[in-house]
Amino acid sequence: MAQKPKDDPATYPALGRMLTWVDKKGSDKKIVWALGIACVIVFLLDFTYDKYGHFQVEYVRGFYAFYGFVMFTGLILVAKALRFFIKRPEDYYGDKAIDTEEYPKDQLDIRGNTDV
Amino acid sequence: MFDVIPTAFIFFVAAAILLTLPKGNLRGLLLLIIPIIAAMQVWNAGFGSFAQIGFFGFELELMRIDGLSRIFTLVFCLAAFLGNLYAWHVRDTVQQIAALLYAGSAIGATLSGDMITLFFYWEGTAIASVFLIWARGTEGAYHTGMRYLIMQVASGVILIAGVALFYRETGTIAFDRMTLGSPGTWLIFIAFGIKCAFPLLHNWLQDSYPAATVTGTVILSAFTTKLAVYALARGFAGTEILIYIGTVMTLFPIFFAEIENDLRRVLAYSLNNQLGFMVVGIGVGTELALNGTASHAFAHILYKALLFMSVGAVLYRTGTSKASELGGLYRTMPKTAIFCLVGAASISAFPLFSGFVTKSLTLTAVAEEHRTIIWLCLVFASAGVLSHSGIKIPFFAFFAHDSGLRPKEAPTHMLWAMGITAFLCIAIGVYPAPLYAILPYELHDAHPYTMGHVVGQLQLLLFALLAFAFLYRKGIHPPEIRAVNIDTDWTYRKAGPAVIYWLSWVISSIYNWIVGLLVNTTSRTIKRLYNSHGPEGRMARNWPTGAMVLAIAVLLGATLLVNFLV
Amino acid sequence: MDTSTALYLTMLIPTVAMAGNMVFADRENLRDGITFLCAVLTFAYVLVILCNVGNGTTAELRLFEVVSGLSIAFHVEPLGLMFALIGSGLWIITHIYGVGYMRGNNEQHHARFFACFSIAIAAVMGIAFASNMFTLFVFYEILTLSTYPLVAHKGTPEAVKGARTYLGILIGTSIALLLTGVIWTFTIAGTLDFTKGGILEGKITPTLLPVLLGLYAFGIGKAALMPFHRWLPAAMVAPTPVSALLHAVAVVKAGVFTMLKVGIYIFGIDFLASTGASEWLMWLAAYSIIAASVVAMTKDNLKARLAYSTVSQLSYITLGMALATSMGALGGGMHIAMHAMGKITLFMCAGSIYVAYHKTEISQMQGLGRIMPITFGAFLIGALSIIGLPPLGGSWPKFLLMLGAADAGHLIIIGVLMVSSLLNIAYLLPVVGRGFFRPATDSKLPKTFAEAPLLVWLPPAITAVGCIVLFFYAGSIQNFLLPIVSN
Repeated sequence: MAQKPKDDPATYPALGRMLTWVDKKGSDKKIVWALGIACVIVFLLDFTYDKYGHFQVEYVRGFYAFYGFVMFTGLILVAKALRFFIKRPEDYYGDKAIDTEEYPKDQLDIRGNTDV
Repeated sequence: MFDVIPTAFIFFVAAAILLTLPKGNLRGLLLLIIPIIAAMQVWNAGFGSFAQIGFFGFELELMRIDGLSRIFTLVFCLAAFLGNLYAWHVRDTVQQIAALLYAGSAIGATLSGDMITLFFYWEGTAIASVFLIWARGTEGAYHTGMRYLIMQVASGVILIAGVALFYRETGTIAFDRMTLGSPGTWLIFIAFGIKCAFPLLHNWLQDSYPAATVTGTVILSAFTTKLAVYALARGFAGTEILIYIGTVMTLFPIFFAEIENDLRRVLAYSLNNQLGFMVVGIGVGTELALNGTASHAFAHILYKALLFMSVGAVLYRTGTSKASELGGLYRTMPKTAIFCLVGAASISAFPLFSGFVTKSLTLTAVAEEHRTIIWLCLVFASAGVLSHSGIKIPFFAFFAHDSGLRPKEAPTHMLWAMGITAFLCIAIGVYPAPLYAILPYELHDAHPYTMGHVVGQLQLLLFALLAFAFLYRKGIHPPEIRAVNIDTDWTYRKAGPAVIYWLSWVISSIYNWIVGLLVNTTSRTIKRLYNSHGPEGRMARNWPTGAMVLAIAVLLGATLLVNFLV
Repeated sequence: MDTSTALYLTMLIPTVAMAGNMVFADRENLRDGITFLCAVLTFAYVLVILCNVGNGTTAELRLFEVVSGLSIAFHVEPLGLMFALIGSGLWIITHIYGVGYMRGNNEQHHARFFACFSIAIAAVMGIAFASNMFTLFVFYEILTLSTYPLVAHKGTPEAVKGARTYLGILIGTSIALLLTGVIWTFTIAGTLDFTKGGILEGKITPTLLPVLLGLYAFGIGKAALMPFHRWLPAAMVAPTPVSALLHAVAVVKAGVFTMLKVGIYIFGIDFLASTGASEWLMWLAAYSIIAASVVAMTKDNLKARLAYSTVSQLSYITLGMALATSMGALGGGMHIAMHAMGKITLFMCAGSIYVAYHKTEISQMQGLGRIMPITFGAFLIGALSIIGLPPLGGSWPKFLLMLGAADAGHLIIIGVLMVSSLLNIAYLLPVVGRGFFRPATDSKLPKTFAEAPLLVWLPPAITAVGCIVLFFYAGSIQNFLLPIVSN
């Protein structure tokens, strides 16, 4: 996203500046690759020890990996489909809900550049 | 009578003292010291029943400390301390008093040894907590508070009705393990179920917690639902149906959480899902399972508070907690971002974080009972936790696309509150022995860090993360959009009022018609009767003198009545 | 002092207060002082009677016999004594409040007002200590007549119309139905004395029993059982002290008190239970509880809302009697005390708001809580007590009524009680919620603390504390009332 002129990374806290690495070009690829490698490692680790469990599936090597990936994908897809049924405009409940209200400013301490 | 001052009273007295103090740091200090005093009192008291009193013909037990009530009391004190530290900046007397009374009531309920006392404190939590919602001061918060209060008090009146029936069934009001079956026990069970946010009774939670103040939500998140978990563990351990209820509870919220925009509501759904794990543990009811529930509640209160704190800090600095408006905040709020990540890792049960060492107890307990389907559901739900609390909260608030917001880092006291909580989350994960030592039952050979556990859990989480990376980069992951999702609350916020409106219109029309008809007929009849039978009528000659007095009285009365009804 | 003298004095002193008000009509401080003194003395003599309970003094006072078997007579029994304690005790507080209200609000005709007020209290004492239905009936009518000028006090067409409804329904029902019932009872039983276990057993065919009960239930219009409840909202045109003491405590409680007396001492709880004659009344009371609450929700005028709330709450007591179990009767009896304390608080708060800012509609009271925190705090406590939440007195009678319903095997009644609590929240707490947590809509209101006059906000604060105190003394009240149901 384009940075605004007055957005100067030098004003970030030191910790924040260090973390900006994640938004550097190419960092996202590196992160995904690292994740992929980690996945391969834990998958392979499954073959290095004697399995023990209460259910038969627990003895299947890589069961958790498979189950995690498939069920997570399924969850996202089902949730996305669910949105089709239950999504309503933000002011659906009118003034009887907080969804469209501003949070009272006098109870907050909004500081820093919050212009979007 | 009292060997010690009941712990709850410490909070109530403190609330009175607080009123006399000037607004400022002195009050903040009091709010921090009281939970410490309370925790020390409970810790030093040992096990036993320390405050009994005869009241209204009942023998009330105000201070029953045993393994189960002690761990819940301690974590409630801890949560009160952290919540009050987080709320150091708040100068609103109402919120401060409410926080004290609320924590005191929750602790009082936990320590009560009979169900009358339980009822008192049960309603106490309801009344005190609503002020944390109303304190926001907006129209929406007012309405939400009313809905919340009615739900909570409904739970209370169902409880007292259940207790009344139970007392008549068994002749006792002792709060101990019950067998579900009679009307009394069912009512008590449902009362607990409302506060525990059972499926279909759950929606007050997601409705109200996002409506509370920044600090109010942190405090709310700790007590009510965990009190209900405690009550179920005390009263209905080993009740089969809880296993199924709990399983459904772990599952359905994860779908709703995934597509919810308000991050505090996402956390409320997530809370509901976490309660599911505890309820399953109660349903299994073995010592290991109850240990799992208790330890999970302990760890959960901490990491859930941490997550609510971090999102609250964002709200405090930006004015919004909606995912669609946020993103990229790590630049200027890096500490909050890191604390949030710790909370996310804990709730997702990454090894070395608190969720891992507590949730595994429950899962093991379920596995030992060889309930395959339940176990598979719970493992799936664990992956689901990662999706909303582990990924969605930190990712869409602090990373993802840059919203352009550059808020200042959270205030120091909030950072301290989050820091301490985050430290505890990691400490429990790394060294669970102290937590294991205060569980209700002795824990035999608990070794969460076996190769199988660690690798299995890492596989589950890392591959789920991989799936997320894949879906997100392909644009399949549902985007964050400004919208609300209807849930069961639709029935009483939309459908119910519409039906009532329609019904009242029908009834009032019919009523008016009938009344009109009646009044017309009677007044006509009376006029006719009066003309013929009245004192001046021609029938008056036939009156027997004895009945006359009575008849006149009746007639006069009736005339008067009609006269004034018309 | 022996009890019969004290009995005499409890009725005489309020009459003296009336005379004092009329004689010193123009000297307001002296006049109000005399009334205050009389109120304190009346309460003191009721306390004397309380202290005499159980020490063997005669607890009877027989004035004269009208015809054979019908006499004006008084005696002391727990229910009546409790009623007298509440009536006289709250009179003191209401008098202080009334003085503050009438002066702060520039009302006219203070002397007439306080004179009628005093005579109403005398009538309440008569009702409380009546030892037979005839005496009770006489004082019941005196109470109606003495409160009529109070309702019509303002003299506006609206007030006159309200007072007409008030008098019409109360006199109408009492003559057409109650008197009929009393005469009938006298004819078949030969006596009207309040007797433990009732006087009707074996003297009336069970099929006619529900009819006779109906004559009483509807004839006692002051109990505001639907559909004879309209007088109560109509009476709200009266100045608030009247609404507070008379239409939340004295008059309406005289109604339900009579209802309980009739149920316990004329019919007999066991007789009602064995014949099932009161079952229809139980359902009607349950209906009244719910329906009046629903109506209350639709009212924006605070006093009207409180009036319908009273209609609903009075039916708790009728319900307690109609359950025909000892726990129900006890719960009903205790509710007389608990509701009195809670509802008088609410009415006095409503008056306080009116005196200070002339607001009558709930929608206009938004934001007033921050300005009048004591009044609204007291309102909150009173409301929570009415709802039946701990640690306030109102929670106990609900529990007893639930036990009573459980004993009678009526689970639906338990459900009614639960729903009623929730409805109470829905119509009472918006006043507090909006008052404290929403900004004021009226820009003319002050921005900071600005309460009503001291004499106006102090009394509700006292009764609010009373609600809390009653919670802890409920056990004593229960033990005190126990003789009315135990054999």
